[in-house]
Amino acid sequence: MRDGINTARLGIPAVSLVTEDFWPQGNFVAQALGMPSFPRVQLPHPLAGTGTAHLRSVAEAMAAQIIGGLKND
Amino acid sequence: MTDLLQAVDESAALEMLHEAGCTDGLPVIVPTPDRVSTLVLATGLDADLQLGSMGPANGVATVGKVATAAVMAGCLPDHMPIVMGAVNAVLDPLFDLAEMQSTTHCTAPLIIVNGPGRHSCGPVASGFGALGPGHRANACIGRALRLCMINIGGARPGESDMALLGHPGKFTYCLAEDEEHSPFTAMHTDLGFAPDDTVVTVIGAEAPHSVMYSGDADDSEDANKLLEVLAIGLANMATNNAVLTGGGAVVILNPEHAKILHDNDFDRRAIITKLWQLTHYPTERLAYFSANFAARIKGDTYRCFDKPEDILLLMAGGSGLYSMVMPSWCAGANRNQYVSKKVDLEQFCEVPALAAMADQN
Repeated sequence: MRDGINTARLGIPAVSLVTEDFWPQGNFVAQALGMPSFPRVQLPHPLAGTGTAHLRSVAEAMAAQIIGGLKND
Repeated sequence: MTDLLQAVDESAALEMLHEAGCTDGLPVIVPTPDRVSTLVLATGLDADLQLGSMGPANGVATVGKVATAAVMAGCLPDHMPIVMGAVNAVLDPLFDLAEMQSTTHCTAPLIIVNGPGRHSCGPVASGFGALGPGHRANACIGRALRLCMINIGGARPGESDMALLGHPGKFTYCLAEDEEHSPFTAMHTDLGFAPDDTVVTVIGAEAPHSVMYSGDADDSEDANKLLEVLAIGLANMATNNAVLTGGGAVVILNPEHAKILHDNDFDRRAIITKLWQLTHYPTERLAYFSANFAARIKGDTYRCFDKPEDILLLMAGGSGLYSMVMPSWCAGANRNQYVSKKVDLEQFCEVPALAAMADQN
């Protein structure tokens, strides 16, 4: 979340990807950094180490939301 | 001082603080205005003076807020120079406090005190059980920093402090170096300070890991074997230091182990250089356990520490078979650097201790 907000502050469109277990932390950081409505997409948890096939399926399922966030739809 | 809470008595006030998530789970001293004012007075500074922003909540750390945490932790006025030094250390951008507070790793700020303030600001214990219970200054100073991190920095488990398990040092984690009995130069002098400077060094560190070694004066490899087991503890393949690399770490030699090294002509520089060398590993070892992390490494070997100075070395504890190592987190923009702050003891004021004030009342 912090990286996403810092990227956006550079004028670069950004969406933060936040896994389910870290969603409350994402909300906390967005609030603390003064951008509570910063676009973010919730991913399943865990992701790390779940294998290429699973990661690909998550990416395919979430791509539209991520692009939508970047376009600020 | 704003937003004063009201309660019918101390017990009710304590429950309010617990309920509001302002404690570490243990009972605290209720920070009444008089008590806070006493510790502010001890700092010689204005209560409203801003020391910096404390993440992840980006709360503004003022002298008054730090004094409030110190009261809650049970600090005496004499402890305040070290508390302020520790707070100033973690507020240094090099420390990456916001990121450290947010990580899933168990890291906690380890406070190491050097110089004359070890005696005048506590005393801060450096001998038997220095990291355990029974030493008021060690317990209260480390706890004060933690309560700052909770109440100013906003660290709450599972919401903003994402440590998966944490470790007991997150309650308090503070000791001094036993400079008087060490055969080596004091740690802070190696960091560029004068022997008479009071220096507070803080590093995000794992819980202490015991390193057992039974010396043998008849063994010509005695010192080298000790260094080998210290290196194993410092950066075994289960540590971030061996996997993420590039961070700092801590080695606390007990007097017996320090003597073994000293008797074999190792000085401070030689010890950390040897530990640095002993933690150069084959890349294939990392690749076996963590292929993703090994992929970034070019070459057949890699270094767990960028340079010998990344290893903090001090002597403390009772004499015996056990030294301690603290691996670290190794992440954040500045890779878990330690930060040292000189404390100007002249700036602080002597004021009556809380207990003495209570007796007068």
